[in-house]
Amino acid sequence: MLEFLKLPFMQRTLIGGELVAIIAGMVSPILVFRKMSFMSVGISHGTFAGIALGIFLGISPLWSSMAFAVGLGIWIGFTSKTGKISEDATIGTLFSFSMAFGIVLISLSKGYHPDVMGYLFGDLLAISPSDVYFASVILLITVLWYLFRGKAIVYATFDEDFSKIVGIHVDFDYYIFMAIMALITVAVVRFVGVVLASSIMIAPAASAKMLSKKFSRIVMIAIFFGMISIFFGIAFSFSLNIPSGPSVVFTVTTIFLISLIIKWIRGKRGSNNVKMV
Amino acid sequence: MKQFLEIKSVTAGYDGHVAISNISIKLELGKFHVIMGPNGGGKTTLIRAIAGLISYDGKIIVENVDIKKYRKKNSIGYLAQRGAQFYDFPLSALEVVEMGRYRFKETNHAKKEKSFEFLKEVRMASHAGVPIANLSGGQQQRVLIARALATESKLMLMDEPLTGMDPRTQSEFYEMLEHLKREHSLTVIISSHDVGFTTAYAENVFCINKCLVPHSEAVKLLEEPEITKLYGPNICLTKHYHTSSEEEDESEGEDA
Ligand SMILES: Nc1ncnc2c1ncn2[C@@H]1O[C@H](COP(=O)(O)OP(=O)(O)OP(=O)(O)O)[C@@H](O)[C@H]1O
Ligand SMILES: [Mg+2]
Repeated sequence: MLEFLKLPFMQRTLIGGELVAIIAGMVSPILVFRKMSFMSVGISHGTFAGIALGIFLGISPLWSSMAFAVGLGIWIGFTSKTGKISEDATIGTLFSFSMAFGIVLISLSKGYHPDVMGYLFGDLLAISPSDVYFASVILLITVLWYLFRGKAIVYATFDEDFSKIVGIHVDFDYYIFMAIMALITVAVVRFVGVVLASSIMIAPAASAKMLSKKFSRIVMIAIFFGMISIFFGIAFSFSLNIPSGPSVVFTVTTIFLISLIIKWIRGKRGSNNVKMV
Repeated sequence: MKQFLEIKSVTAGYDGHVAISNISIKLELGKFHVIMGPNGGGKTTLIRAIAGLISYDGKIIVENVDIKKYRKKNSIGYLAQRGAQFYDFPLSALEVVEMGRYRFKETNHAKKEKSFEFLKEVRMASHAGVPIANLSGGQQQRVLIARALATESKLMLMDEPLTGMDPRTQSEFYEMLEHLKREHSLTVIISSHDVGFTTAYAENVFCINKCLVPHSEAVKLLEEPEITKLYGPNICLTKHYHTSSEEEDESEGEDA
């Protein structure tokens, strides 16, 4: 199963994938605690329209999907903040529109029709060095953001009012977060595809949350889970010759179920202890 | 009288619905002010306006500057009304108190130490490492009080701080606030429904029920029909004087 490690291009893919896992693990607890899972689903699907637009216009899909995702992220954030339109309805409408728009654009593109399956569900063979560079840049941005605004975003997630009172620019931080999340999504989409990207951004923290009640530890566990998921995801994808998205999702879900069982066992043990006392 | 806070014809509300209307009050520095009034009377709205959490018409002035300007440099000690927030978040009691020190230019270590001191003040030091979600409602409230104090603000705004607190914590809370108030010349504004306990400590009570009900001194208030105006004719009040030396308290009753 591990023979893929011998191939240079697979080594590169794995490095890129692990970088993406680290980034996803860093933001995923914030997404989960802010109950923004559906938003991340919306943004990842939205990138498809961006990718298709790039193909249609003959420019790099990376740039067009970045622009599209960041715009979408901030817009979804805005509807959510102002609360004038219902957020889940907005996302629900937008993401089906993005998929439809993307498919239309790709069908209309003359000549070379790219592998749509690859974009939707991830294709390891399509990953180029530039994807790995892109992932490293996003990792750098995310780490810097964490260093400077991490505490503020955690505080605002916990208690927005009090954060405002101690001088945190809650709204500004929120939009920055949406933009960063959109960039991360673009990087993730390259490795697991549009449809399944949100799983790696949500499930690691959802699992970690069941195992710890300390935020910093949850972040560490989420990063770790993300890294294992990507590793086995890529290994299975390569050895079974299946798209990378589903195989990553399988590992992510397995970890989620194991965490659920651990939590359940711990809970049972806890209640037994109470009986003994 | 040294004036600390001036509320100048403040009107605020929600989506067209006016919750408080044309409220003007001057509040003295270093005093214990209590806002009373029935449910829905606008206490929370006024406190949130002062805290800068909702927009309002009118002006609020602190130490001769507009509070909007004041807030840019200074935190305010704020405690939200209980149940306003859902604290299912993996932060420990100590980490929650540290929030109050966000603005302080000090090392993380110093932040922790200071925060621990404030946890001690509310008798929660032994729970410093416990996730806030695992604390009882009253314990959570004490941690949040410590967080408000940790801002070391000259202004403490507390919205019904003692709801759900046991009697020992209540009297300790007042003693602690008295002490801090004297030491740091804090101006304290709390809202409360607890007529007896509060007025024993309060130096200024004012009542709002959408508009300001003319205010007077705490003890005088009890003799005047203001409370009746606010809470209805069937209320019965037992006077309750505070003597700082002895453990009290005589009972106070609100009867229907
Ligand atoms: N978020 C909100 N949206 C709309 N209306 C609100 C909101 N919060 C309060 N109100 C309305 O504003 C008025 C004042 O409410 P407020 O919360 O200030 O009262 P209060 O004096 O704090 O009451 P309580 O003693 O119950 O805490 C009420 O009529 C209430 O219905
Ligand atoms: Mg209230």
